[in-house]
Amino acid sequence: MANYTLTASSPLAGLQQEYQGVTLAEVTNKALVSISVPLGGETALQTAVTATYGVTLPVTGKSSKTSVDNALFAGMSRDQCWLFFETDNIRPVNIITEKLGASGYYTDQSDSWVMLSLAGEKSRDVLERICPINLDPDVFLIGDVARTSMEHMGSIILRESEHNYLLCSARSSANSFVHAIELSIKNVI
Amino acid sequence: MKMTSQIQQVNRVSQGLLNNNTEQSLSFEFNGKSMTGYAGDTLASALLANGEKLVARSFKYHRPRGIFSAGSEEPNALVELRKGAYQEPNTRATIIELFDGLEAKSQNYRGSLKYDLMAINDRLSPFLSAGFYYKTFMWPKAFWEKLYEPIIRSSAGLGRLSAIEDGDSYDKGFLHCDLLIIGAGPAGLAAALQASRSGAKVLVADEDFLLGGRLNAENHGVAGAAGHEWAASTVAELNSLPNVRIMPRTSIYGSFDHGIYGALERKTDHLASSGGKPRQVLWRIYSKQALLCAGSTERPIAFANNDRPGVMLAGSVRTYVNRYGVTAGQKVAVFTNNDDGWRTAVDLSDKGVEISAIIDTRDKAPLAAPKGAAVMMGGSVINTAGRHGIREITLSNGQKVPTDCLAVSGGWNPNVHLTCHQRGKPEWQDDISAFVPGHALPVGMQVAGAANGTLTLASALAEGHAKASEMVSNIGYTPSNSLAPDSNDESCAVSAFWYVDSGKDRAWLDLQNDVTVKDIKLSHQEGFRSVEHLKRYTTLGMATDQGKTSNVNALAVMADCTGKTIPETGTTIFRPPYTPVAIGALAGRARGKDFRPTRLTPSHRWAEAQGAVFVETGMWLRAQWFPQAGETTWRESVDREVIQTRKSVGICDVTTLGKIDIQGRDAAAFLNKIYANAFAKLPVGKVRYGLMLREDGIAMDDGTTARFSDTHFVMTTTTANAVSVFRHMEFARQCLWPDLDVQLLSATEQFAQYAVAGPNSRKLLQKIVDADYAIDNESFPFMACAEITVCNGIPARLFRISFSGELAYEIAVPARYGDSLFRVLMEAGQEYDVVPYGTEALGVMRIEKGHAAGNELNGQITAQNLGMGRLVSKKKDCIGNKLSERSALNTDNIVELVGFRPVDVTEMLSSGAHFIAIGAEASTENDQGWMSSVCYSPELKMSVGIGFIQNGSQRLGEKVRAVDLVRGKDIEVEITSAHHVDPEGERLRG
Repeated sequence: MANYTLTASSPLAGLQQEYQGVTLAEVTNKALVSISVPLGGETALQTAVTATYGVTLPVTGKSSKTSVDNALFAGMSRDQCWLFFETDNIRPVNIITEKLGASGYYTDQSDSWVMLSLAGEKSRDVLERICPINLDPDVFLIGDVARTSMEHMGSIILRESEHNYLLCSARSSANSFVHAIELSIKNVI
Repeated sequence: MKMTSQIQQVNRVSQGLLNNNTEQSLSFEFNGKSMTGYAGDTLASALLANGEKLVARSFKYHRPRGIFSAGSEEPNALVELRKGAYQEPNTRATIIELFDGLEAKSQNYRGSLKYDLMAINDRLSPFLSAGFYYKTFMWPKAFWEKLYEPIIRSSAGLGRLSAIEDGDSYDKGFLHCDLLIIGAGPAGLAAALQASRSGAKVLVADEDFLLGGRLNAENHGVAGAAGHEWAASTVAELNSLPNVRIMPRTSIYGSFDHGIYGALERKTDHLASSGGKPRQVLWRIYSKQALLCAGSTERPIAFANNDRPGVMLAGSVRTYVNRYGVTAGQKVAVFTNNDDGWRTAVDLSDKGVEISAIIDTRDKAPLAAPKGAAVMMGGSVINTAGRHGIREITLSNGQKVPTDCLAVSGGWNPNVHLTCHQRGKPEWQDDISAFVPGHALPVGMQVAGAANGTLTLASALAEGHAKASEMVSNIGYTPSNSLAPDSNDESCAVSAFWYVDSGKDRAWLDLQNDVTVKDIKLSHQEGFRSVEHLKRYTTLGMATDQGKTSNVNALAVMADCTGKTIPETGTTIFRPPYTPVAIGALAGRARGKDFRPTRLTPSHRWAEAQGAVFVETGMWLRAQWFPQAGETTWRESVDREVIQTRKSVGICDVTTLGKIDIQGRDAAAFLNKIYANAFAKLPVGKVRYGLMLREDGIAMDDGTTARFSDTHFVMTTTTANAVSVFRHMEFARQCLWPDLDVQLLSATEQFAQYAVAGPNSRKLLQKIVDADYAIDNESFPFMACAEITVCNGIPARLFRISFSGELAYEIAVPARYGDSLFRVLMEAGQEYDVVPYGTEALGVMRIEKGHAAGNELNGQITAQNLGMGRLVSKKKDCIGNKLSERSALNTDNIVELVGFRPVDVTEMLSSGAHFIAIGAEASTENDQGWMSSVCYSPELKMSVGIGFIQNGSQRLGEKVRAVDLVRGKDIEVEITSAHHVDPEGERLRG
């Protein structure tokens, strides 16, 4: 047996910041697994997802929420959705495989991204300095998800509630990403 | 300090629209002189209120200049604003909002503003006509660069930079709307009301800080109220609506493709300090529709000595008196060719200002002249007098009229600029003697109000309202039933009168660049027929005002010269920006280390603590080497890292290599098409080197791909090509072979991956790999791969691959364990004297081993050049296979990758050297190839290289010269195998 222990660390060491009208916090309790649809396997995957999670697979740009594992399916492209769910299991793909069997191709993305929650009534003011997509609350609805680029960093934005957004960007540039958001907060608030 | 200062402000005749602001004055300094003004003033209105006429010197002749306009078109009154790191040159006094403590200086003079030493240029004006520097300073030739140009550059020009880094910050942002309304004058506000009442998301931007446009400068009524009151109440209503965003102090500076507009918002320019917030924000506005309501700009009439301080645009004189309660003079004359000029006389007279004369080029007076004003119809002003400001005008009948302000109106030019940013051409409209927007407008744009040539108030309001209805219905809204605001149309007749023959005297067209009527005539005489050539030869219409008050008049002069009409003569092309944009605003927050994102490897924190020297590779920061105490040069550190790795074991962070997760029933078939070599039969648990070609047969990238199951592969790419390879494969998957069942995911970020290399690498790994997994040579041979666990159950991937040529592995764990794994490996490796090694040692070992990398895969090289021609399988098709067979790529004399060593082992090779036969001249004809990578080999104790030379594989042992003309080297080298170290590969299989 190996005599060494590995310790996990999150990209931003669990950052939590509060400002007037907005909070910024690293999300560390979520796993992220991409589910790709095998060619011709849409129905099988849909059946498996409905049976296990009780929801339909979202179309691109939309998401489906379920109470199972507090999970959220985000439609990322025609043949791919990403599943955010709460777990501390280091093998999240195994959890999905147990639930959905071989009906999809699964890739663990949990460590690929830094996840940040930007919440509060000023969140859109903060985001309009870095996020090119239209965040008008009547246009980017609750549950909508989009890939975009913020300050030259590929990003994913998900509107979780009226004023709350989940932002994901590459783990390696997490410091630059959070700096971009913090600078926006400083500039706006 | 605040104080009451009505006494100082000799030209303040009323409160104008400043209202309660006049209860407290603001102090400011101009050229070191203390003055006062009020909130709501511009620097220009405050200067005029204080009787300051002389505010600037002209560009070329250093003529005294005063305030000419009341808006962003100002050509004269450019000042240096603020001090030190916050100093900004060429700032237009007419748009600077006054704040307490403001400091401004005139620019472009030597000595004092009043007694400018450079005013001698005015005496030398016969030698300084259009294009003088092209013909005056031609001889002797050598003098141009060393004498003439420095003198000209130091004596001409506008303001100066402080040469201190800008102390302010800037930001950028993105806005979206259904309808963008550019300009909040009558047409813009009427449109905004209608569009917002119809439910559309409306964004209104205006460059002024007080919205209303000309409504704030005139005395017209709207909807039963004074125009400025209607504007204020309309803005209040718009501000209360959730679907409207009003942006004052915001200039729309450019119209770009797809309804995108650039906007500059001046956030804190009106404050004494930005308070740590961005001074300006550059917005990118995405609009579905855009309504240009940018108004119009008044043009002057040219006549002799028309540039003296006190000669101003008539509409601006009216703005100053109506909006700011400031008269530009105590005895004002008006020179006009249109009805509008008369209103200046009326409004000034209403405020008690004496009107000395009204001179109209036309025969019939449109309005009654104010009491006491002499009227001259069918006449003109032919000259002016006054050293530092106008004192007297001479009329065409010879009469001299004392005056301290001459208000000139030559008509109004619609601000068509944004309609031209996508190559739209304005069209001539005879009844207003001006260009109006052409028919080819940017997609989604319409124009209303004065910008569209609709110069009168009721018509502008109606047009704004109607266009808004049309535009919102274009995007699915039902227009509101509300009516356009009620008003009356004022008289606006104009005659086409451009300039008065000035005889020997100069009549200015472009005040900013000192271009006169004579300059235009001279340029025509010298053969410049195109209006674009005219502009460049005379500099007309350049610099901060971009000729807003001069272009059309100059075209009229040119048309006269050529005998053509003005529309036949044409305009120059208007390009963004409409008004100046500071470079700082264009840069936004991308300054210093925030210029672009930085990517950090999982071992970064550890490496940083070790004092590693980092190198930027793309956005990544990678450890280049790890200096130790006593090491004084990078070579010492790198040599030690190489020696210790080859002797025992070293660890290198290779997380930056691209990793692509490939899954699907057809994943193997897909890879077989992507890679030039065969992949279909790669067994599970094995890794294979792969070379992929571009469609044209040139090598694109290389790497290894591991197979973890029948349907699951993991590819590695080079760091530099991680994105482009992924994109290439996605294209192939989606567009070339959509019938294959294959899915791609980037896994570059998911795993921390470390190379563990050296004869003790296996022993080191055995200390952390869980006992369930055997990694001895038999169980886990060269090119094996497996999903394993380490450190008691942490999932990991292990690859038996080697870039160094040693017994080596790459181990990957989920990135969250990356930092910890590196520390554990260093701790576990202590008994083997493990070393971390950086990219330099990595490079040394791969060159010693003869592996190609970025220097070799340079976009010109084929598999054949790399000596891998046979790798391109002819038993299958793959991207690039066919075109790699092109005859020119397969001659007997192609360059091939081989090794090189100096004959004199003390010589240091250099990459980029070209190979020349011994005794031959170092010329292009004799070029046989080039050295692509070199290093000092601690193992061989000499400099070694790899490179490409014609027919290299057949020339081992031959000697040639490596000639590097850039570094002045000419070294005799021997052609060797590219594998300088362990050519048989015994180590990596051991």
